[in-house]
Amino acid sequence: MQSLKISLKVKEQILSKENMKLDRNTYKFTDKGNLGNIALVVGIVGLAASAVGYIQDSHQFYFSYLVAFFFWISVALGALFFNLLHHLTRASWSTAIRKLTESMMSVIPFMFVLIIPVLLGMHELYHWTHEDVVATDLVLQQKAPYLNIPFFIIRVVFYFAVWSILTFALIKNSARQDIKHEDSILARMRKYSAPGMMLFAFTLTFASFDWLMSLEPHWFSTIFGVYIFCGVFISMLAFTIIMVRYQNGQGAFDGIVTVEHRHTLGKLLFAFTIMWAYMGFSQYLLIWYANLPEETFWYLQRWEGSWRTLSIILPIAHFGLPFVALLPQAAKRNGNWLLMMAFYMLLMRYMDLYWIAMPTHSPEGINYSWMDISTMAGIGGIFIWLFWRKYTSGAAVPVNDPGLKVSMEYVN
Amino acid sequence: MADLAQTATKALKEPAHHERLITGEPSFEQVTNAVSRVVESKTPKAWWVLFGISSSATLLLLVAIAYLFWEGIGIWGLNVPVAWGLAIVNLVFWIGIGHAGTLISAVLFLLRQRWRTSINRFAEAMTIFAVICALIFPAIHVGRIWVVYYIFPIPNQMGVWPNFRSPLLWDVFAFGTYFTVSLLFWYVGLIPDLATLRERATNRIKKIVYGVLSLGWYGGNKQWKHYEMAYLILAAIATPLVLSVHSIVSMDFAVSLLPGWHTTIFPPYFVAGAIFSGFAMVMTLAILARAAFGLKDIFNMRVLERMNLIMLVTGSMVGYAYAMEFFIAWYSGNEYEMFAFVNRAFGPYAWAYWIMISCNVIVPQFFWSKKLRTNIAFMFIASILINVGMWFERFVIVVTLSRDYLPSAWGYYTPTFWDIAILIGSFGLFFSLFLLFLRFLPMVAMSEVKGVLPQADPHFAGNKQAHSQAVS
Repeated sequence: MQSLKISLKVKEQILSKENMKLDRNTYKFTDKGNLGNIALVVGIVGLAASAVGYIQDSHQFYFSYLVAFFFWISVALGALFFNLLHHLTRASWSTAIRKLTESMMSVIPFMFVLIIPVLLGMHELYHWTHEDVVATDLVLQQKAPYLNIPFFIIRVVFYFAVWSILTFALIKNSARQDIKHEDSILARMRKYSAPGMMLFAFTLTFASFDWLMSLEPHWFSTIFGVYIFCGVFISMLAFTIIMVRYQNGQGAFDGIVTVEHRHTLGKLLFAFTIMWAYMGFSQYLLIWYANLPEETFWYLQRWEGSWRTLSIILPIAHFGLPFVALLPQAAKRNGNWLLMMAFYMLLMRYMDLYWIAMPTHSPEGINYSWMDISTMAGIGGIFIWLFWRKYTSGAAVPVNDPGLKVSMEYVN
Repeated sequence: MADLAQTATKALKEPAHHERLITGEPSFEQVTNAVSRVVESKTPKAWWVLFGISSSATLLLLVAIAYLFWEGIGIWGLNVPVAWGLAIVNLVFWIGIGHAGTLISAVLFLLRQRWRTSINRFAEAMTIFAVICALIFPAIHVGRIWVVYYIFPIPNQMGVWPNFRSPLLWDVFAFGTYFTVSLLFWYVGLIPDLATLRERATNRIKKIVYGVLSLGWYGGNKQWKHYEMAYLILAAIATPLVLSVHSIVSMDFAVSLLPGWHTTIFPPYFVAGAIFSGFAMVMTLAILARAAFGLKDIFNMRVLERMNLIMLVTGSMVGYAYAMEFFIAWYSGNEYEMFAFVNRAFGPYAWAYWIMISCNVIVPQFFWSKKLRTNIAFMFIASILINVGMWFERFVIVVTLSRDYLPSAWGYYTPTFWDIAILIGSFGLFFSLFLLFLRFLPMVAMSEVKGVLPQADPHFAGNKQAHSQAVS
């Protein structure tokens, strides 16, 4: 009862109109609201609780942590992709949310710190790190030039270097534009985005191979990187919808980012939900059809015990329901409905990652742990705190961008 | 539905405030004249020459097919394990060409890419002709042509049904749907322009033929309303087909157990490749058409540049897929898988493999340069090279099977004269149909192009003038 009261109070505070204020001339926040503080508290509590969990059951901790880590970095990487795409296509509609998405990707360098527990837990997460296992396993010996600890760490550093450099390059130019606009700044950002997109495709793919696919080091699928990419973009879109709606709810974003932008974000969310299903189905159908034991075991694992239930639910809940729920135009233009769907898609995304990673941890069936929640809250809290801190530190929109007016007046 | 309706109004009517999509500031009348002239003027000599060449090639196709029916598929270079040979290579090549047309007419329409209006019509026509060319190959490959109807699930007295689990049967459905929808979509789009030609017809036969085909179109408000809705619904139906058709084609290979064929990225990889090659074909044809018929304002540099950018994107996707295949072949730890790829790159067909890599991966990367992607000569050569590369991609996939598990049975697949004759013949058929299209139907969607002209905007300054004059 007590906790319910507290949560109601928190909700009230978050939703109260007076919480956040935006100066309409400079687009700077005069009142940053308390989202950041709440997130920081949640983050610290979550991480502290997870640390206790680590002492209790380190195996569970590491798996929960990996899922939570990948979930949150997905939002940041999705935002990086969104920005690269924005510049490459010279999109006009998304200029008004560019600062928002830039702030989301600005968390990437910090995620490098948050991946350290994954590196420390490699021995528990990835059984290709066990020398005795590899010694008796010909296939793993074959893969050893790729799947070995030093190279794994080098790759992690490389991925983060690439992502961070791209992030810095874009954010630095964005900051420069805030002082004084020059066409050359946008041109430069576009210039970075072109090779950036190429690098992004490959780094994300190999990161997903390393962090998720190699949990089952015998299994392989060429579509896996693309499948993960769809999920990454879904995470980012859903998170953006929530943040836009949150600020609309505060009245801070009125007339800047409107139902038109949410509608477009909703359309993208809808499209990538289908894309996700297409990739997932392609992978499943081809493996099912060929019925090669070296591939099917991955799905068979997910057909054990209660995993079977999740395997049946996943395509329906992650594709079937949102397909219907996001199809009508009204669904994408109704603020509350779209907000609910965005939360729902984040949940689905979590479920998908859980379904990919966790059967390695508890092959006998779903073994949901409180640490799954605490790590999500921990990393999520820190993520949102960092994101919010960056976002509210400057103008909420790229004030000097010549495309801003077009974007603010954007109509679907 | 309301969503769709909105898209339709926007896509067709949104004022062109960003930029001029059609250069040279033509009036509505000039657009009609420029496009209709191609159909109405006296047949140019060059057309007869080209049609002579392509219809001769078509004749070669007919002869080759007749001989094939007489002798059986033994006249081809087929062997085991390369049991499909060039027939499947050509099938996949042609069906892939078609995909750009559907992407341009349906997907880009839904995405409100208004620059598509210039190339829309003839890209769609290309789709239809490419699908016709493609469909020849599975039909003539069955060997016993007199029982070709077995590929359809027709109830029969023998109780014999095709295998519903076979992707080859899915192909029948996929191609059938694709051809039907593409044809309808194309025809619906043609109706207003057919009516224009009917109005301009100078002799009775033309008047009757275009009159019947235009289904009594008079351009009334209500007609436009229904027309736009029908167009939009067909676009929405055609959109998933862009993905589904080539995904199913890829499954012809990928559902098997064969190393090099069975890999999960095949569906999206084939779709990207199909769009890639299709755009290259549209480009080749567009450059020829703009030069031959003086349509430089309609097929202007902005349109061509954007097409090049799409080729850059899809070409990079194809490159990504090649890289994934290669990496995972190694990562799988499966020696047969590894062998299949090493054999592709360094085996007896290495020449074909490297043609494929250079044309598909390296050539489109030159489009990063603005200078090159706005250079007509370069893009013309590149578009041809890309199609060569995409043909070789399928060739590589199919013929590198010639080294399978049993080294003593390793051989080298060589196409025979008749294989090549049918390939050339299919190009002949494609170009014959295309030339006929250019001669008898408007190759640019006049009504749509007018829709993206500045005058179509109710707030256009010129209109205001005319309006105030009319009022006063």
